[in-house]
Amino acid sequence: MTTPTNGNRPDGVDIGGARPADLNLPGALDGLRVLEICDEKGQFCGKLMADNGADLIKIEPPGGETCRSFGPFMDDVPHRERSLSFWHYNTSKRGITLNLETPQGQEIFKRLAATADIVLESRKPGYLESLGLGYETLSADNPSLIICSLTPYGQTGPWRDYVSSDITQMAGGGQMASSGYDDIDVPNPPPIAPGGGNSWHIGAHYAYIGIMAALYYRFLSGEGQYIDASIHEACALTTEGAIAIYLSTGEVVQRHTGRHAAPDMSPAIQFPTGDGGWLNTTRSGTNLTPARLKLLAEWFDQSGMADDLTDERYQDPAVIAEENDHIVQVMKNFFMNSTLMDSFHGGQQRDFPWGAIRSMDEIVGDDHLIDREFFKEVEHPELGRSFTYPGPAALFNGSPWRISRRAPLIGEHNSEILQGELGLTNSQMLLYAEGGVI
Amino acid sequence: MPLPTPLQGIRVVDFTWVRAGPWAARWLGTLGAEVIKVEWPLNLDTLRQNRFTVPPGVEPGPNSTGQFADTNANKRGISVNTRTDEGLELVKRLISVSDVVIENFSSRIMQRWGLGYDQLRKIRPDIIYVSMAGFGHTGRHHWYGTMGPAAQALSGLTHLSGLPGAPPAGWGWSYLDDTGGMYGAISALTALRHRSATGKGQHVDLSQMITGITLTGPAFLDKTVNGRKARREGFPPGNRTVWPGAEVVNNYRGPIAAPHNAYRTDPGGYNDWAVIACLSDDEWHNLVKLMGSPAWADSRFDTIDGRLEHQEEMDEHIEKWTKTMGKYELTEKCQTAGIRAMAVQSSQDRVDNDPQLRHRDMYVPMDHPMLGPWKFQNAPFKMSKSPARIASPPPLIGQHNREVLEDLLGETHEDVLNGYENGVLWPTTMDRYPYIEEALR
Repeated sequence: MTTPTNGNRPDGVDIGGARPADLNLPGALDGLRVLEICDEKGQFCGKLMADNGADLIKIEPPGGETCRSFGPFMDDVPHRERSLSFWHYNTSKRGITLNLETPQGQEIFKRLAATADIVLESRKPGYLESLGLGYETLSADNPSLIICSLTPYGQTGPWRDYVSSDITQMAGGGQMASSGYDDIDVPNPPPIAPGGGNSWHIGAHYAYIGIMAALYYRFLSGEGQYIDASIHEACALTTEGAIAIYLSTGEVVQRHTGRHAAPDMSPAIQFPTGDGGWLNTTRSGTNLTPARLKLLAEWFDQSGMADDLTDERYQDPAVIAEENDHIVQVMKNFFMNSTLMDSFHGGQQRDFPWGAIRSMDEIVGDDHLIDREFFKEVEHPELGRSFTYPGPAALFNGSPWRISRRAPLIGEHNSEILQGELGLTNSQMLLYAEGGVI
Repeated sequence: MPLPTPLQGIRVVDFTWVRAGPWAARWLGTLGAEVIKVEWPLNLDTLRQNRFTVPPGVEPGPNSTGQFADTNANKRGISVNTRTDEGLELVKRLISVSDVVIENFSSRIMQRWGLGYDQLRKIRPDIIYVSMAGFGHTGRHHWYGTMGPAAQALSGLTHLSGLPGAPPAGWGWSYLDDTGGMYGAISALTALRHRSATGKGQHVDLSQMITGITLTGPAFLDKTVNGRKARREGFPPGNRTVWPGAEVVNNYRGPIAAPHNAYRTDPGGYNDWAVIACLSDDEWHNLVKLMGSPAWADSRFDTIDGRLEHQEEMDEHIEKWTKTMGKYELTEKCQTAGIRAMAVQSSQDRVDNDPQLRHRDMYVPMDHPMLGPWKFQNAPFKMSKSPARIASPPPLIGQHNREVLEDLLGETHEDVLNGYENGVLWPTTMDRYPYIEEALR
């Protein structure tokens, strides 16, 4: 088994790829200015725009946004400039501090909004309006402005003022009702909220789509508009077939360990490997035809683990069906005598679309990701160090998606933007700093 | 007069199938793009065969699954055999009058057809080509196959989900099909802005699997910056932020907090659960007050370290209280007191019992030719001047052959009839559905 080289299948077919001609080309959103007033709920949407080339100015309250206090922290030393969560979600942005509850802060914000293409905000419904900074006011001076509010439940409706967190959004949105365990794995199992803060991601993806659609409409018409995006609705859309199953048959899905929630029971698809990992074979990913079974048997046989699967009698679909339990047991034995990554690659090289349940221990440094220049070294000049960040999910060959700089320090660009662009004087900066405006 | 749609005038050639790709194109269609899905009845989209979503009393068949319906609303559909020269030629002519080509085949397929990016841009110089292969088109494992569950396993997302000491719980659906679909739409729209600004198209080489890695940022940096071991005691911490007894480290769901869990509610059925999360001492004290200041909730629980230390005891007491009421009653009581809480909602709850989704018109009624009165999922955002909308049910297979080929590409009616006779527009081995016969008259 030879390792395929970059761009070629083992059979030698060259299929190219889509590397950008030049990583320094401008991103797709080059020339757009975005103002972001967001905590954990909207900052990922801002990151997507900033990594794609927008000039994004993050406006934080004096002292910094609340989500700077989310761990983990660099070297486990809690500090508002050391939050790795904040680092990740705020790359490629510039940052200023501004107290929007002061008249001077509001005036500065209005001047910035007059220069902006997009405002993205995730404050409580009605908050910006209460400060005189709502869509009506801002669009009067800048009719092509697009404002997107991304909030837990949207701007209207009986739940609009409900408070939330990631786990409450995943409860209401249906993620939890679909995720969890079979009784055999965990007795009386609770529904499980998948980890990683994904309700914010789900909301951010849809907000980004709405904003991009509004940009195209502006390209056609010259008009901006207001977008009222709801994280709850975005999550409610993100359980694949659960809603369609209910609408079709009235059945409510049951949770199963590591596989699709479904109205019925289904075979287990996760198997432990000898080095303490788990392999996910997917529900239809084994599909054992005689030819495929032969591939497996020959592979297992190389380490003497094929049991009787090399026997000719398995070249009959009826025998394969009849002996399914035995075949699964042979597979389990093989995985327990193999490693996670060997099982995964060995399966894929025989066209079994399996997935290793990788942790960061396996992902960081992965060869395929290196080929795609996924790992991005990002300079932190104030620390004199650089760190490896996750890069783009997609290679744009004409307008690269890339991290252009680390997250801003608190108020890092106050002088650059407020003095350099808006022309505030040294004495104004001093007075505003002492007066809690910036 | 109805408001205009944002993507008016954009035409999308949709070669996608299963879930991630069709979901991407579905949103472009919902935003007003004209999406034309290209299919072939002998290689049916697997969602057309979804066994769980044929309503009782509806004749099974490729046009009768609810899952295909919602995933492919707002599209037109044609059936073309791209393995014939004539079929390929028709597809190329369609591309020449389109803005976006989107597909989620394995990474070698389109190139084999002679429809790789280099060929596409000869047909249409400013074409936007979005490919959505599992591992992408670039990189040594580009040819690896994945479906949603394998992609999310490989991305690190599955590892983040579950109870410590148990197998990974992962995600009970193909989260990376939903998310991959999001990124397909994101990629097309981002490239569209680039085209608006520069006049240039491009190839966007999306990897469905990698979309998941970009969602694990804090865990990723915890590894690359802090060298934290990803496989550790007490991880993943279930619904909590820190598992009882485990080292107090952040496990990537926002701030460390307790209580932060799912609790049973009355009457104790399969989905009678609600979650409560107190992210500060003040929120905790509000909860204590709401529970009637019970004796057990003493000063040991006043601080986050105390609540983490006595988490099991605290959660047991809280659950005794939550079991005395229904999940919606609990939600409302907590919210009135400013406490973050929400019912665990099943599919049925969202469709039938959620007043917020009802208020926001989440499920839009529209007739479907086979399924009858149906509901389609609406966009999760309201655009004030150019709203997204549910405009049409999904295409029956081959439903729009005649209008696309004759009206758009200028084929004669005789050409179209010939296409049915010679296996270019319909398999000669397969009966034609009545709607196809009718369209040909």
